[in-house]
Amino acid sequence: MHVKLSRDLRQDPWFLIGLSLTLLFAGLALLGPPLAPFDPWDISFSPISPPSEMHLLGINDGGQDIFSELLYAIRNTVAFGLLSGFTALVIGVLIGAVSGWFGGFVDAILMRIADIILAIPAIMILILTASLFQPPPYILALILASLMWPTISKAIRAQTLSLRESLHVRAASQMGGGNWHIIRRHLIPEMFPLYLIGFAAKTRMAVFMEASLAFLGLFDPSRKSLGMMIAYALKYYYMEVWWNWLMPPILCLSLIIMGVTFLAISLEKVVDPRLREALVEKTA
Amino acid sequence: MATGTNQAAGRFWQVITFSLAALAMIYLSYLLPRLLPGDFVTATYASANVTLTAEQEAGLRAYYTQDKGFGDYLLKLATLDWGYSYAFLTPVSDLFFGALPWTILLLGSANLISMFIGFVTGVEAAWRHGSRTEKGLVGGMTVLEGIPEICTGVILLVVFAYNLQWFPAAGAETAYAEGGFFQRLIDMAHHLALPLTTLVLAYFPGNFLLTRNSMMMVIKAHYIDTARAKGIFPRRIRYAHAARNALQPIVTRFGLRLAFMITGALVVERINSYPGLGTLLFNAIQTRDLPVIQAVVLFSSLIVLCVILGMEGVYRIIDPRIGNAR
Repeated sequence: MHVKLSRDLRQDPWFLIGLSLTLLFAGLALLGPPLAPFDPWDISFSPISPPSEMHLLGINDGGQDIFSELLYAIRNTVAFGLLSGFTALVIGVLIGAVSGWFGGFVDAILMRIADIILAIPAIMILILTASLFQPPPYILALILASLMWPTISKAIRAQTLSLRESLHVRAASQMGGGNWHIIRRHLIPEMFPLYLIGFAAKTRMAVFMEASLAFLGLFDPSRKSLGMMIAYALKYYYMEVWWNWLMPPILCLSLIIMGVTFLAISLEKVVDPRLREALVEKTA
Repeated sequence: MATGTNQAAGRFWQVITFSLAALAMIYLSYLLPRLLPGDFVTATYASANVTLTAEQEAGLRAYYTQDKGFGDYLLKLATLDWGYSYAFLTPVSDLFFGALPWTILLLGSANLISMFIGFVTGVEAAWRHGSRTEKGLVGGMTVLEGIPEICTGVILLVVFAYNLQWFPAAGAETAYAEGGFFQRLIDMAHHLALPLTTLVLAYFPGNFLLTRNSMMMVIKAHYIDTARAKGIFPRRIRYAHAARNALQPIVTRFGLRLAFMITGALVVERINSYPGLGTLLFNAIQTRDLPVIQAVVLFSSLIVLCVILGMEGVYRIIDPRIGNAR
């Protein structure tokens, strides 16, 4: 199943564009800050100057180099998204597999909790905690993850229920494989493509949330973030600075979100067999 | 199978789930501020220029710590006694209900418009599957889906409010304007245009892609062939036979996407300085006006819960089969 899947994916232009955008920004997040020409907290330049050879994107109102700021902001935004998406994925897969495999009472309780969490708007909890406690960003990323797992675990649970009846899983269980052994060695590897959808979708949501929280001013103001850069630049949009100060963070944020969106959409298209059949039959 | 008791039990669980979610939100809004280190008096006056005498401080503390537990808190919430805003010095409930109608106007119209356009274009695109128009539409929508509201909002603001000056950059009405009812209506629409366009551009691609994908599956069904064989008009097949079944995912996913949408609406209101809950929340965050933040967060979540629960009801009307699926 997986071999065919990767072949299908490699032929989908959306997947390739999404993958290259994601890799580009992951690379920028890793290598950006060492490449930054200036310290983004250095306020010694003359405020609001246009781009020059030394300062590729000019200087902001606080006398900081915008290009260096941008590189640090990309790292923070991407890191927040990946941390939150990955944690949500781990929680979601574990709970989904456990719930589907054990069934019965465990399943009923876990899925009830999932329903309740699903109904609570995550942004509101984040705004409340961020404005009351001003926690470090990684705590907010983890809180967001703890609110995002239910959709993943529902998908994983449904898949587990059908896998539970498949021959190889039944064979493993009849040969005396324990619960955890089966979950670890059979269920979790088998559902690999499903994770990727969940991971891409949740990372997209987390990046969006991070940008919005930063835009609303809920993070430490000295922490560079794309949302915060947009918020500051927007205050001066009536000056002729919008193309070198406002545009770069907007473009980067859009491209990051676009990259993960393309990944999620093309994976969904390839993995969901019903949709794929519908598409293939009509085009053939 | 489709027994009445089953359906009633499903609906009962739904209501229980939402009540528990609401209770969790209310309890968090009660608990979290009480976990803060120090107390309200030190927090407010620590950085102020006034120095309190010991008596004043004791008096203030006595006033602010009349904490009678969760039951009392619930009672205060129910009687709209949500405290006073530190920054505006008005009751929080006045601020909240002053801002709420604008948010409902903006979010409601954005949702209705984007659902309608997304649904119709989605149905038509799926019907013309394989054509160049359809491919172009899907491609364009996929790209649009990737552009967050912050970005479209800022771009529209810079282009249409600043460079072209076609639309106002802030507010919901012209202040102190006098005129008849219709002039006022046009003025409101003029102010609504930019934030509304931003939100529609953000919501509509998702609706389009969902409708198109589910239509693609419905179109293959045998009852569509039957309808065709009977010689029914294509438009009637599309909307009365196929689209009704394709409508489900839009409605089911609505609840899931609402939390996402709320985030976007907060940001878009702030970008266009639209006087709704988002701007109120933003100003409260800037001045660290905790009672306002708390009230906006809590009550907008409760409204969201009610809307999702209401949508579940709509969902059952659209597709009577689901009553026994749960």
